[in-house]
Amino acid sequence: MKIDCTIDGKALSLSINSNKPLSLILEEDIQNSSLNSHCNGQMCGFCTVLMNGKAVLSCLIPAFEIRGKSIITFEGYAKTKNAKDIEKAYDLTHLKPCPSCYNSRTLIIESLLSNNLTAKEDIIREMEMLKCHCLEFNDMVRIVQAASEIRRKRHARRA
Amino acid sequence: MLEGLRSPNIHTPVNLSEFSSIIQHYPTSTYWAGGTYIMSRSDYYPSNTTNDEIIFLGSIEELHRFQRNDRIAEFGSMVSLYDLIYTGRSILPKILIENIQDIGGNIVTARMTLGGSLCTREFRSSLCGTLSLFDASCEVKYMKKKRMHSKWFPMISIYDKSGKLNLPDKALISRIRVNLMERNYQRFIRKGDFFLDQENSVSIAITGNPEQDNFNDARIAITYPNKGFISNHDLDNIFSSARFPLDQDESKSIEDAILSAVSAIFPSLSKLQKTRTRGIIKEIISDLNINALTTASFDEAKTNI
Repeated sequence: MKIDCTIDGKALSLSINSNKPLSLILEEDIQNSSLNSHCNGQMCGFCTVLMNGKAVLSCLIPAFEIRGKSIITFEGYAKTKNAKDIEKAYDLTHLKPCPSCYNSRTLIIESLLSNNLTAKEDIIREMEMLKCHCLEFNDMVRIVQAASEIRRKRHARRA
Repeated sequence: MLEGLRSPNIHTPVNLSEFSSIIQHYPTSTYWAGGTYIMSRSDYYPSNTTNDEIIFLGSIEELHRFQRNDRIAEFGSMVSLYDLIYTGRSILPKILIENIQDIGGNIVTARMTLGGSLCTREFRSSLCGTLSLFDASCEVKYMKKKRMHSKWFPMISIYDKSGKLNLPDKALISRIRVNLMERNYQRFIRKGDFFLDQENSVSIAITGNPEQDNFNDARIAITYPNKGFISNHDLDNIFSSARFPLDQDESKSIEDAILSAVSAIFPSLSKLQKTRTRGIIKEIISDLNINALTTASFDEAKTNI
């Protein structure tokens, strides 16, 4: 099946099986190294990507659903200004996720910030999904709230 | 593309009449709602047994509708659980919202659909049990003599006694209707991970109206992932007929009665599941005891005044 989509800003036309999971497409067809795991949909959370700006688990997205959509992996996201906000929040709070969950956690934070979900319960519910215990929930709340503040200031300066 | 592996044909009907013509041409197609259950199966990809025809239900507009009045809320089966809690947060029973939030964060619930969570063979969520407490009903569309018929069924009747899905061939759940009845006491408790540790997990949803030493209109649903759910009048009556507060012996006899009723339907429950069921019931009884004692002391105080 031929599928047209945009991955990390590049318009691609892929010839792939229509039911192939996005996580495998990124690993095998795009050779994207930013995904850490392929858990077969057991919801470990390590394969998070942004699809049309929303965080999704790439192992739960079949190829036919990415047709015409824009996918952003951590590789593409790391170059954006939004990523710098979150990096600054890590530095400011002196809290940093471990290398295995860094990419996914950053993308989940981005999804929280873009949807204005900065309440403690929302952050904890979202982060609970990630099966990595390198950071405590209170630390995550601090990071997200710091990142939200940094982004708000950046937007205010720009305005 | 893997050599020798056929890429399934994806059909994306945009309305139900298109869906019915596709299902007549390809009667053995797989219905695709959110995909969270299908894609989490270990044999999903690569697999030679994957169905060659997939009908993606996400584009059918009729299945995304949501309407309500004073008594009921009606949801299309392709409404995602995320949309369900955000559109229905102010009207839906509290326990239903708690149950959905317990399933996972927005990333997961945005992919899971209401119809999909009711129609999977394994119980990856305890939603069916919780919905049955509110006398939910489903509109089932099915093919008969090359024509599509539809009929409303009480939700409990689309599952057999052991909680397994019992729909006619080529049937599709199109709408789910929930009665908007609020009960004073609503509690949802889950122990164990429904996704990762199905053998040892259990969840219990209970609602009712505690009044002095009675627990009126008690409804209880117990869900065991990969086995099914149980919700019947015998279980409800165990709670309805009790007089609270209960002492330790009475409490134990209720736990035993519920466990024996559950074990009769699901004989292969694991030891941990049984222990967890007993623990949750103990927690609920203690909660109801506290409730009864506070109400009793409040009533006493009122009469003294």
